[in-house]
Amino acid sequence: MTPSSVEELSDVVASCNRSGERIAIEGGNTLAGMGVPVRAPYAHLRTASLTAVVEDAPTDLVVAAQGGITLRNLATQLAAHGTHIPFDAPLAHQATLGGTLAAGWLGPRRHLYGRPRDYVIGSVAVLADGTIARAGGMVVKNVSGYDMSRLYVGAFGTLGIIAQANMKTTALPPHARIFIAPLPEGTRRRALASVVSLRIAPAAAFWVEGFHQSIDGEDGHEGRLIVLLEGSAALLERSTRDLRSALGRAGVPETQILDTGAREAFGRIVDAYVSCLGERSVTYRISAHGQSLVDRVLAARLLADRFELRADTLADAMNDDIILRVSDLDSHALGAKIAMFDDAFHDDEPGATVVAGAHPQRASLNVWGELPDAFDRMRALKARFDPNGTLNPGRFIGGI
Amino acid sequence: MAAVSDFIAIVGERNTITEGSELRTYEADGLPGFRVRPAVVVLPETTEQVAACVRLARALGMPIVPRGSGTGLSGGALPVEGCVVIGLSRMKAILEVDLPNRRMRVQPGVINLNISRHLAAAGYYYAPDPSSQSVCSIGGNVAENSGGAHCLKYGFTVNHAVGATIVTAEGDIVSVGAHGGEPDTLGYDLMGVFVGSEGLLGIVTEVLVRILRTPQATRTIFATFPTTDEAGAAVSSIISAGIVPAAIEMMDQLAIEAIVAATRVDWPLDVGAALLMDVDGVAAEVEHTADAAIAALRAAGAIEIRSPRDDGERALMWKGRKGAFAAMGRISPNYYVQDGVIPRKEIVAVLRDIARLASEAGLRVANVFHAGDGNLHPLILYDGRIPGQEALAERVGGEILKTCIRYGGSITGEHGVGFDKAAYMGDLFTEDDLATMQLVRCAFDRDVIFNPNKVFPTPRLCGDRPGIYHPHAAELAEVAGRG
Ligand SMILES: Cc1cc2nc3c(=O)[nH]c(=O)nc-3n(C[C@H](O)[C@H](O)[C@H](O)COP(=O)(O)OP(=O)(O)OC[C@H]3O[C@@H](n4cnc5c(N)ncnc54)[C@H](O)[C@@H]3O)c2cc1C
Repeated sequence: MTPSSVEELSDVVASCNRSGERIAIEGGNTLAGMGVPVRAPYAHLRTASLTAVVEDAPTDLVVAAQGGITLRNLATQLAAHGTHIPFDAPLAHQATLGGTLAAGWLGPRRHLYGRPRDYVIGSVAVLADGTIARAGGMVVKNVSGYDMSRLYVGAFGTLGIIAQANMKTTALPPHARIFIAPLPEGTRRRALASVVSLRIAPAAAFWVEGFHQSIDGEDGHEGRLIVLLEGSAALLERSTRDLRSALGRAGVPETQILDTGAREAFGRIVDAYVSCLGERSVTYRISAHGQSLVDRVLAARLLADRFELRADTLADAMNDDIILRVSDLDSHALGAKIAMFDDAFHDDEPGATVVAGAHPQRASLNVWGELPDAFDRMRALKARFDPNGTLNPGRFIGGI
Repeated sequence: MAAVSDFIAIVGERNTITEGSELRTYEADGLPGFRVRPAVVVLPETTEQVAACVRLARALGMPIVPRGSGTGLSGGALPVEGCVVIGLSRMKAILEVDLPNRRMRVQPGVINLNISRHLAAAGYYYAPDPSSQSVCSIGGNVAENSGGAHCLKYGFTVNHAVGATIVTAEGDIVSVGAHGGEPDTLGYDLMGVFVGSEGLLGIVTEVLVRILRTPQATRTIFATFPTTDEAGAAVSSIISAGIVPAAIEMMDQLAIEAIVAATRVDWPLDVGAALLMDVDGVAAEVEHTADAAIAALRAAGAIEIRSPRDDGERALMWKGRKGAFAAMGRISPNYYVQDGVIPRKEIVAVLRDIARLASEAGLRVANVFHAGDGNLHPLILYDGRIPGQEALAERVGGEILKTCIRYGGSITGEHGVGFDKAAYMGDLFTEDDLATMQLVRCAFDRDVIFNPNKVFPTPRLCGDRPGIYHPHAAELAEVAGRG
């Protein structure tokens, strides 16, 4: 099913709901590795034909588009008048607006520009019974009624299908520059600490170990530091100076600078968040907020090592996110260990979630980590919005 | 009364109010013209006491009206017949300051400005700054998703209140959103929907807020214009150029007159409008943004552009702006504040329409508002002693809201729907949109005991939706069992 209008979407969903047919909602399938696969049997519902830009008001810095538009197409349209929305989601040519929002995607520049959900000012959602529900509007400030759009963001489609999202936009930073430097063990803590406390915050900063085919730079036996700076020419000049001297003080050796191609290099880092090695990898995400990022990355790598799994890690120093991809030589070898690794890893990191992996065992892992305190309320919401369990049943936390 | 002694048993005699002038305080909030006497007011001191009060009220079948400082302008804290008002003003402790993680945990009765005051010496502050910040509570801010002048750059309460402890309609104590250091928690964004829910979904008894480093540099710019047309055009051109000042506030001639009378700030009285802007950030960024903004002001036809001579003058200018509502007393016996939102490119057209509505009604309207966000605050001036004028002012207020809707805007940007605007919700939303919001309310409060007659235009019950299959208990249990 590939409805091409909101009304058609509503009809299709309502009729499934009446007949007891379950629906798996598909955008670009780029984040299909997050969450549990939908409980079979189900009908596929694709948003691929809902791609219209409904309203584009560049002078007001707002845009409304249908849920199936790809992030790349939306970005191209916005870039034409010098604006953007910093989604920072992987595989932008394939990822959809609705899917990225529904998955509650959190990217590396959010510490500076905010999360995708912070840009949502209104929505049109199609509920399980076919109700077309509008919320918010095209204004940037609005407290008329509950902020319903917030509920659909991050709900993995289980409360309603995001048929349209109204978004704020912001001026595209005129310049971008990437720094790549080897990060020998002895410099790591000081270098990361000095980067996060720079007065002009970098747009992104990572400590990468591995991910050789996908992310720029070599680390040999050391990791590497990648920093993205953005802003006006004057700001960039200033922050380049600050960064250089901070890294120099931390003892970081020679840095390489990318001006042309900086945005593409950044895009490759974002893509790596969910990159899979065929069926022989599983990728986790943890939040190290409030505790030493370095210690937790090292602990995760050590654990992978104990299980003789290869570990690629990507640590986002600005947001304290850690991406850990564990892999083995082939799918069998991974299958023999991954369940035990998953248990052991969750003993250390109860909040770890699985974000990617094509291995058949992925679904049986503890993909969501521990349930939140307010889970009963969430289940009550689901029961109100989708009493039949029509929309993406089983995909979300606690089997919602 | 049995009920009263039961409440006293929970919160103690000194925290229970049943009569006299003390009770009168709780009969109204900031919405003029309405008073309702509650059955009892309780002022709990702990989350557990709040929970016990909710359970008791529930057992007694009493509606509950939560209340912070009572400065709300839409009647959100206006009592309903036979209710218990649960006031949070005794819960004003700062529980935890976590500078490394830029978080602070506070009780709901903490006054907004006290958060920033508490942090000032350490070089941090709390960004949302409603003009009422020296009196309104953080719990009330969460309930209203309050904004302020500097929310243009920094976002509203929803962007800064990241987690909360709430007491639910069953009297359970639940944590929503972030807790501890975790910035983004798993599951539905309950905090996101709780912020701005106007006391209908539960009582906030603790709030976890983000705190920010005080900007390295701030530059204040004051610019005057012949009429609101040029000032409005200046705002639109700043926004569309992607320039992001921390604040862009607009005042028209009447508002300037009132502010000058109240504060003696030396603003000219012979101009049609003025903009007050802050540009902040790191020094290099401030220079760049301020230059771009000043160029846009010039191009739009500014008469004069100046900056305060020193911090003292800067503080005075902002004090003038933030005290603008109260200053109306200098030029009118009474005023009625409206709060509507419009797309920012429509400021000029809508201000003209408002002027026309006012002159047709024979009333004066002053405008002082968050222009960068398109959030209008027309102040309709009237004389309550003249029969019919109050009703006329309200009617003009209603026409202004309809104008906002016609231009693709909204009926409230920060003051909330409350009791005052429930009747307009049907103009903005369809029956289906409202029924969908009602699903949220029913998931939190199926017996509608919190703030029963607020926000929604018609009283609704939480039956099961017609024609919809009921989940089997077994199915829910199965669902819950899956990891
Ligand atoms: C002069 C003046 C200027 C103002 N300027 C602004 C402005 O610039 N920006 C702005 O946004 N607002 C402004 N306001 C409106 C008002 O100050 C805000 O809405 C404020 O957030 C209300 O806080 P309060 O503590 O007074 O809440 P109250 O008025 O007591 O309550 C407001 C609502 O919140 C609910 N509530 C209160 N506490 C809780 C709690 N702990 N848990 C659950 N629900 C609760 C109440 O039931 C009610 O529905 C202004 C008001 C005045 C009088």
